[in-house]
Amino acid sequence: MNTKSITRSLLKEAGIGLALVLLVVLFALSHDKFLTVSNISNILQQISINTIIAAGMTFVILLGGIDLSVGSVLALSAVVGAKIMTEFGLPSDMAILFAVLGSVICGTLCGAISGAICEKWRIHSFIVTLGMLNIARGTALEVADARTIFGFPMSFNAFGAQTIFHIPVIFIVAVVIVIIGIVVLKKTVYGRMIYAIGNNEESVRLSGHNPKFYKIIAFAICGGATGLAAVMYMLRLNIANPILGVGFELNAIAAVVIGGTSLFGGKGSMLGTFLGACIMGVLGNGLLLIGLGDFTRQIITGVVIILAVILDTYRSRLEAKLTE
Amino acid sequence: MKIKVLGAILIALGLPFSVQAAEKPHVCVVMKSLANEFWRTVEIGVRDYAKENQDKFTFEAVGLKNESDIDTQINAIEGYITKQCDVIAVAPANSVALIPSIKRAMNAGIVVVNFDVRLDKKAAQQMGLPEDFLFVGPDNKLGAFEAGDYLAKNLPKNANVVIIEGNPGAENAIERKEGYIKAVNDNNLNLLASRTAHWETEEANTLMTNLLTRYPNIQGVMSANDSMVLGVVKAIEAAGKTGEIKVVGFDFIAPVKQLMKDGKVLASEDFFGKDLAVNAVKAGMKIYSGENLTGWVKTPVRLVTSKDVQNEMPE
Repeated sequence: MNTKSITRSLLKEAGIGLALVLLVVLFALSHDKFLTVSNISNILQQISINTIIAAGMTFVILLGGIDLSVGSVLALSAVVGAKIMTEFGLPSDMAILFAVLGSVICGTLCGAISGAICEKWRIHSFIVTLGMLNIARGTALEVADARTIFGFPMSFNAFGAQTIFHIPVIFIVAVVIVIIGIVVLKKTVYGRMIYAIGNNEESVRLSGHNPKFYKIIAFAICGGATGLAAVMYMLRLNIANPILGVGFELNAIAAVVIGGTSLFGGKGSMLGTFLGACIMGVLGNGLLLIGLGDFTRQIITGVVIILAVILDTYRSRLEAKLTE
Repeated sequence: MKIKVLGAILIALGLPFSVQAAEKPHVCVVMKSLANEFWRTVEIGVRDYAKENQDKFTFEAVGLKNESDIDTQINAIEGYITKQCDVIAVAPANSVALIPSIKRAMNAGIVVVNFDVRLDKKAAQQMGLPEDFLFVGPDNKLGAFEAGDYLAKNLPKNANVVIIEGNPGAENAIERKEGYIKAVNDNNLNLLASRTAHWETEEANTLMTNLLTRYPNIQGVMSANDSMVLGVVKAIEAAGKTGEIKVVGFDFIAPVKQLMKDGKVLASEDFFGKDLAVNAVKAGMKIYSGENLTGWVKTPVRLVTSKDVQNEMPE
């Protein structure tokens, strides 16, 4: 590795990392409680769910696709898991095990179905997942009869509230997912194939690989991550509700895009997505701490999303110059 | 336009069945989001009532995908006008946007009853609705005041409280906030913040967690609905402050009843969702049979406290 390539790989995440550091410094200066252990622990808890969904979403966006259904699939997976946990009178260990499996499998299936339909009929994922958004939401409402499901086993509820050295367990799960995501994307054939397809699907096909297979798997991964996020949601709030997760897809997409992943595919990273989710979380927490009103907070969040992406374009230009 | 025509055709297809029952009045109910637990209860209540009274009227109902789906409501009313039904009870998703459609329905000779959320008085007058147009619904402001007042009575003087609001701009969210503010003022509470969590559990959880960081001295929480109470209670638990912070909510949904049993929620305001649309249909039938009803027919609200729940006989 020469100096140039090292600088380049550092630069890749530098823009977004710099933005995050800037935000943290800014909030730390404006409010003395921002950098306390308990507040940081809170932020980590608050970004976990979005991080897991966004990690799955990264695979799909790297392919040049999108998954709009994650919010609804989250609700459906949560409702399915919650039903399994509460309605079959299983002993609590079994109930939890089957509920977790049920949620993840449910999410994976939704993703796989979306992906398969996209590939079979060559429809853009925007449309297919828009359909899935409605199907999953409707099914969730049907399954739960529009009610909030509660009364999970005590051990399940207690686990969700646990922290290890002030780090919430659901954040640890999120970090593990991100690390797995980084390894898969960087070190495996499958990961390299995702980038290759995102850059030029035709050339992948001509080189004798079948892009369809890889793409369907990516949607299944995204769905599976969403199913896991549903379990995290239940751990955090100890309820499942069929109307939860409305708009979560936009938060996840925002995290991925702030993290420097191109919506056209082929360019981006899992680490960037993680940093993007951090920015969203820090922003939400910090703006409230400094005491801004609801509407101002929404405006500033929007501005920061755009600024982060603008910053990123400078980063890519610099990178391009270095490559020359 | 195309959609309207399509709607008319679809309705026409269903028409032959309702025409046969011409002597019995046909009652149509336009509700809000059936994805909302509370509205699901409203729907079940009114459907049961309609079943029991099959001999008196025929019935159909429509709900929305989400709380702000104004178009669907307008289309539904247009459809009911085309269908020439006799009574329409409508819970407007927006207190102004539905007025022109309601006016058209009235011009077509249909009895219209406004329930749940009151139409904007000024706009209603401007668009030619009667000055004292009938409204059947709960007094959200009074209900919230009751809950807030009960909270205040259970807190020390000048206690620090926060309000968790519903969707900004939603009529019932505004009224409930007004009720809570009145409780704050009348009892000289110290209001630290009033913020929205958009009726949503997860958002309320995040909001409350962050509010607790900013104001570690919070003693009481007034939440505009019970879904948000669920998130608030989890945030209080996570902060290790269970028992130190008292919470009141609105809607009295099942999971909150459980929390009240455990003593984690102080009180919630029940406004009898099961009867809400039923009362509107009853009022509509009265007008249809010639009675003159105007003004505000208040549907009951009742404060349910954790003591009430704990004293209840085990089911």
